[in-house]
Amino acid sequence: MRSTHRRTKGLAGIAAVAATSLVLTACGRTDSGAGGEAQSDEVSGGEATGTIEVWAMGTEGEVLQDFSAAFEEANPEATVEVTAVPWESAHDKLAGAIASGETPDVSLIGTTWMGEFAEAGGLMPTPENLVDEADFFPGAWQSTEVGGTSYGVPWYVETRVLYYRSDLAKQAGWDEAPKTWDELKTFAQDMESKAGAEYGLNLQPGQTGSWQTMLPFAWSNGATLTDEAGEEYTIDSPEMAEALDYYTSYFDEGLSPTRLLDPGELESGFAKGDYAAFISGPWHAGLVEDAGVKPDQYEVATIPSPDGEQGSSFVGGGDLAVFNDSDNADSAWKYVQWLSEAETQTAFYEEVGDLPAVQSAWDTGELAEDEQLQVFGTQLETAVSPPAVPTWEQVAGSIDSITEQASKTDLASQEAVAEMQSKAAAIGTGL
Amino acid sequence: MAQTLDAPTPPATPPTHEAVDHGPRPRSKDGNVRTPKWLYAVMTVGLFFVVLPFVWMVISSFKPEAEVMSIPPTWWPETITTSNYSTLFSKLDFPTYFANSAIVAGAVALGNVIFCSMLGYALAKLDFPGKKVVFGLVLGTLMVPGVVTFIPLFVLTTNIGLANSLPGMILPFLAGPFGVFLMRQYVLTIPDELIQAARVDGAGELRIFFSVVLPLCGPAVATLGVLTFLTSWNNFLWPLVIATSEDKFTLPVALALYSVGQNATKYGLLLAGSVVVVLPVLAVFLVLQRRIMQGIAMTGIK
Amino acid sequence: MSTQTTTTPAQPGAPAPTQKRARSRHVDPTRRQQAVAAWVLALPFMALFLVFTAGPVLASLGMSFTDMRSTDVRTPFGVNFVGIENYQELLADPLFRKVTLNTLLYLLLGVPLTMGVALAAAVGLNSIQRFKGFFRVSFYLPVVTSIVAVSVVWKFLLRENGGLVNTVLGWVGISGPGWLDSTTLALPTLVVMAVWRNFGTLMVIFLAALQTVPRELLEAAETDGASGWARFRLITLPILRPTMLFGAVITSIGYLQFFEEAFVMTKGGPLDATRSITFFTFDQWGYGNYGYASAAAYLLFLAIVLLTWVQFRLLREKD
Repeated sequence: MRSTHRRTKGLAGIAAVAATSLVLTACGRTDSGAGGEAQSDEVSGGEATGTIEVWAMGTEGEVLQDFSAAFEEANPEATVEVTAVPWESAHDKLAGAIASGETPDVSLIGTTWMGEFAEAGGLMPTPENLVDEADFFPGAWQSTEVGGTSYGVPWYVETRVLYYRSDLAKQAGWDEAPKTWDELKTFAQDMESKAGAEYGLNLQPGQTGSWQTMLPFAWSNGATLTDEAGEEYTIDSPEMAEALDYYTSYFDEGLSPTRLLDPGELESGFAKGDYAAFISGPWHAGLVEDAGVKPDQYEVATIPSPDGEQGSSFVGGGDLAVFNDSDNADSAWKYVQWLSEAETQTAFYEEVGDLPAVQSAWDTGELAEDEQLQVFGTQLETAVSPPAVPTWEQVAGSIDSITEQASKTDLASQEAVAEMQSKAAAIGTGL
Repeated sequence: MAQTLDAPTPPATPPTHEAVDHGPRPRSKDGNVRTPKWLYAVMTVGLFFVVLPFVWMVISSFKPEAEVMSIPPTWWPETITTSNYSTLFSKLDFPTYFANSAIVAGAVALGNVIFCSMLGYALAKLDFPGKKVVFGLVLGTLMVPGVVTFIPLFVLTTNIGLANSLPGMILPFLAGPFGVFLMRQYVLTIPDELIQAARVDGAGELRIFFSVVLPLCGPAVATLGVLTFLTSWNNFLWPLVIATSEDKFTLPVALALYSVGQNATKYGLLLAGSVVVVLPVLAVFLVLQRRIMQGIAMTGIK
Repeated sequence: MSTQTTTTPAQPGAPAPTQKRARSRHVDPTRRQQAVAAWVLALPFMALFLVFTAGPVLASLGMSFTDMRSTDVRTPFGVNFVGIENYQELLADPLFRKVTLNTLLYLLLGVPLTMGVALAAAVGLNSIQRFKGFFRVSFYLPVVTSIVAVSVVWKFLLRENGGLVNTVLGWVGISGPGWLDSTTLALPTLVVMAVWRNFGTLMVIFLAALQTVPRELLEAAETDGASGWARFRLITLPILRPTMLFGAVITSIGYLQFFEEAFVMTKGGPLDATRSITFFTFDQWGYGNYGYASAAAYLLFLAIVLLTWVQFRLLREKD
């Protein structure tokens, strides 16, 4: 065994050199490090040409090919080739593609991945004057900016709002949605005591993605995650602790379950009136209606804040980015530009129901008239996106895990946020 | 379920069945060893628990989506529908995905059988410098957790131009350490005299391998072939990252793509898809199970 | 490990008369020929193996001594060599300690249980005459079924309200807990699921070994009045021992890499109660901490090698 091992090491050296030199010759050195990079030069005039390879996830991936026919019509020299990628493995696929340089020209990129892929040197800075920043929801635009440079264009957005059973609320004496934190608490209590709900408000007790429900309370309370420059974490603040305290009180008081719900459990429970309210994104309208909730039985409302002003929710969604390894970048950006035109955005909404990231797309049609949609539109104006840093997923993972401890054990909120801060500081921004 | 419970004695199985079952050394069955009735009862109860989740999967694949997700869950479908299957077959370019999966899994199985038995034979029966190093190296990697090699392997594969190609899904898995271990153990059980006799007759070492040793390896080859086929057939993450265009998708990749929607998994589709994916594997196993048993029995894993 | 296996005595089956001839392979020209032939046979495998398996493995070993992150993939030489810093940090990381403990629990609960169930099923299968093939295939079914589909079913079975398990418990007056929501019950519950999913392979191996137990011996013992249990303990078990060793080794390697069940059922929760070392590595990988993740994986690798070595020592010595 021992001699075998020594000799294996010799071989190991050779193989390691071989493997690494392969990496080296293929990729070469680039100046990595997003931030402070200049925006790309303006794209040329004229029509797009050549083949534009696009990756898109989920429903977008399924419909985008047909949807792009209009672009191909306007640019006869160009062909759009869309590959659908499942969301659950999109991150690995993109990471691998960037590592090897085998990227498509354009891809839909989850807003929270922008920091990582930009820092890896995979994404091209957005060309000057491609789009006007002011056209987009501010929170959505934030998600494209890594270290002060924009690396893409927001495509569609989603934000979290309060869903509640309006018929049960009436029974409990609530004709309107709660506006302040105190009201929300009383509302949840009334839903249990007067309307027979098992849980007044379902919140996520930690675990993956719970920060998307917890942080809106913190943002609404004036807490921030980083300083203005985006260099230092500022999680350990009285505002954050207060918000976490408020959030976990729902578990302590039995207003929210502390266990992870099974798939479909929330929707069917909402239909039965067991869960009177929850916080989620626009897709849940379809899900609860599929579960048998009639449209007049429920309503959505913006996130409450401590003092009754409109709360700040989380804005997520997808950005469009062009890769450094694209061999048709100019046309690729033109395609991105086309997708972010207001008319295209409206048309895409009509096709798949994705909420447009461009504000003016909300001025006409269903988006302007539908009351429920207007709630989302209003919420988006104040919605915040988390810092676009490469380490965000890990920081979020720590926030999730500490939120879980605060929800399920007797960890005090003050200590919890201090721990979040020290974890985040240790992880760093990665920029 | 009920059927399996109360039908223990139909004369369905011919009496000859057992003799085949015992593989290489047929034994006389003179009724000396009795099978107690309670054993069947215990086995049936065990069987019930083991196949229950599987049966539920098959039954539920015939439920409409809403019923799959309903709480409390239903056991027998209130509405029986084949819509999950028809959606699956109409939305997916089934022949292509099926062919890709079969080609990849078939090639991986074939390659493992050939390359691993060659090296296995060399390790078991030939003396050569570096033998211990080779064997140590192979066994060592058997124990390395898979997550780790993912990115380096991906960078390598794409850099040698194998991205979005079937060879890119096949080549990295052609030479697995497990196969070498299995084949070596099996070849060890082949008597030295056989090989020695061939040498005396003047056969070269390579010929000895192909015309003497390999034909004797039937059961081990079947075992290795089926196990590697199965692993490759169910492989998901690698084909997913390698295949970038739809004509290169394998079955699990295509299924994941269509059943996992943006914010909610379509469980009905997923269940139907899982049934479809598992059927070919099950068929292969059913056909070859006796040979596999032999292979494992004689591998001398003792 | 390698020496242990390579020194396995060659076939005992060889009859005496030919023994002399067999030794003649030590004559030099034959050895040369053999060496050349051996390398020709080994070449295709070794070429593929070095490129696609050994290469990436070693590349990641190199990574474990650097501060490489996912953002460095395009400039792998821009990273810093940090020596054993990753390893030191891991040993000091409270989460890593917790997942190590969890992994040991998986191992200690899972291996005996899987082996016990597999052995019981194999012995049962070996003793029945009818429907043998049917039972065998049914017991093997979980091995070939996709984990994602199975997770849906298991979640349904284990549901706190309306789950099949708790419904059945309710019939005998027990109010079942939320199996996957309890920090103490979640891990054992996942072990049960893993046993269900994995015992089939081991069962087939045990069954094969059981068929090598000489029937005459068992019959003779029965005539001498040995009870069923005594026959099993004194005749069958000793013959099975080498197979059990093999089974223990592969099952342990499997449980040390425990991941999928936790990933699809509990996402590592509640409160990290079901997070394993491989899960931890997977998380770190996802966070882009390639160096740190590689170091964790190599610590696991060391544990596997160590455990395998110990098992060989312990179980062999008694022979």
